[in-house]
Amino acid sequence: MPRQLYFDTPDAFLEELRAQLNAGIPRRRLRARLPFHLHEAEELLIGRPSRLRYFALGGGLAGFGGGFLLAMLTSVDWPIVTGGKPIVSVPPFLLIGYLLTILIGSLSCFAGFLWLSRLPDPGPLVSDDPFDPRFVLTINDEEAS
Amino acid sequence: MNNDISAPQVETDVLTAMRRPGPAWLTGLGLAGLLFAGGLALWAYQIMHGMGVAGITHPVGWGVYITDFVFWVGIAHSGTLISAVLFIFRARFRTSFNRAAEAMTIFALMVAGLFPLIHLGRVWRFYYLFPYPNQRQLWVNFRSPLIWDVFAVSTYFLVSLVFFYVGLMPDLAIAARHRSGRAGKLYRILSLGWTGNLRQWRHYGRLYMFLAAFATPLVASVHSIVSWDFAVSIIPGWHTTIFAPYFVAGAIFSGTAMVLTLVIPMRRVLNLQEHIPIDHIEAIAKILLLTSLIVGFSYVIEHGMAFYGENLFEMEQFRFRALGHYSLLFWIMIMCNAVLPLLLFIRRLRRSLAFLFVLSLLVNVGMWLERFVIVVCSLARDFDPYNWGNYLPSPVECGITLGSFGLFFAAFLVFVKTLPVLSITELKER
Repeated sequence: MPRQLYFDTPDAFLEELRAQLNAGIPRRRLRARLPFHLHEAEELLIGRPSRLRYFALGGGLAGFGGGFLLAMLTSVDWPIVTGGKPIVSVPPFLLIGYLLTILIGSLSCFAGFLWLSRLPDPGPLVSDDPFDPRFVLTINDEEAS
Repeated sequence: MNNDISAPQVETDVLTAMRRPGPAWLTGLGLAGLLFAGGLALWAYQIMHGMGVAGITHPVGWGVYITDFVFWVGIAHSGTLISAVLFIFRARFRTSFNRAAEAMTIFALMVAGLFPLIHLGRVWRFYYLFPYPNQRQLWVNFRSPLIWDVFAVSTYFLVSLVFFYVGLMPDLAIAARHRSGRAGKLYRILSLGWTGNLRQWRHYGRLYMFLAAFATPLVASVHSIVSWDFAVSIIPGWHTTIFAPYFVAGAIFSGTAMVLTLVIPMRRVLNLQEHIPIDHIEAIAKILLLTSLIVGFSYVIEHGMAFYGENLFEMEQFRFRALGHYSLLFWIMIMCNAVLPLLLFIRRLRRSLAFLFVLSLLVNVGMWLERFVIVVCSLARDFDPYNWGNYLPSPVECGITLGSFGLFFAAFLVFVKTLPVLSITELKER
């Protein structure tokens, strides 16, 4: 049977977590639920940074390239001189690239977050599993983990 | 800091604020709804009868609608400043305002986005603004500042919406726990099944940081791009290089004032005095003071450069602003934006809620007038005296403007009763 321990304060929770790890319980047997993010818990239980940064980088680059290319290729597609400016007017096209860097970067980060944290999760909705206001440390059995 | 308030207390206080709307709320919503309905009816009237019912005509083709657009986009800015920039700088007073300010950003942008459409006349052609493969094989002109605007404002709206929603997710799960029945179910679904396990928090923390980092440059860029609608032209009074920083400072100034206009009554009506301490309101008042100084400095520079530059048209334009047909509006603007906020140097006034509330209203009046003076004066007196002419807003334009305030306040009133007005999770963390 998995054991569940409840704590009201982050300090008590972290103290217990450290004690469990020091007692030789492997990380994979420990599960945590928190009312707010604790970086220490992340370091103790996972210890590597989130992969979300690749989504930020990928989305940002795709947005920049896509925005610039959109402006450039549509101008080349029907080359008409307006305001005496060159057909490929780099400064204003960079602006479109810049704005789409932010837009696509943010949206891809959000999508990446949903993917990495397995949301939306219908499980808690069906089983009526609420967001606990306390710090919960679950210690799984060897075979269950 | 108010670390002495326990976590369950934070939850109950914030969620109690969402319960049982009182008569004041209902009256407010009724009034705002009426204003909005009036504005909508006038817009329908304008669509039926054509743009002739608006006062804009030759030579002033940009009037109250463009003024309103610039004003509302400006209001949106301080929301992002508070939620993203202050997050990156780890300013602790941010938690008292961020949720309300983010909601304000969304509503202000919704309202702002309507004005180019209202100004468009043939609103059913609005989609011509977007680049899409069409039968006419035409694309939008990416060299036009008006298209930069389309991209800037829609990017700003979508990024702010995602930022607002992400901030809400854990709080929606808390609200679901406190509510039973259908409302509880709905909050639970909107929270996407958030349980607060470490995997969720870990990516959430990174997401919030990335979104703040993506949104921060928008604070500077969106109103810069709006200012280029003017500065890229050659009209005297518009064609200046200081326009971008001048507009950004003005945007943060007016937005900060709007935060105070909304939060001071909200704090009192919803009994949130303990969670929004006076020290934090004072911090916002300091931002108001700083941006007022920048705006005042811009006025001096703008006029100083016009006279120093010896450009006849530029000089005449700035003489006209201060002494011509619209001089009354100009001096009210100077009073509200550059003179009265100097009183914030006095600590006692910075901490007086009544003073701050009245000042915030005056600053909003002043900032609306600033946009009016910039937009209208330059068009009313350009190069050729044969081309001069004064503009008076028509009742339709005034009604639609009032309607926009109705929509904004109605949306905010609905927000305070349906979503947690403070970030419960961040207050607990504090």
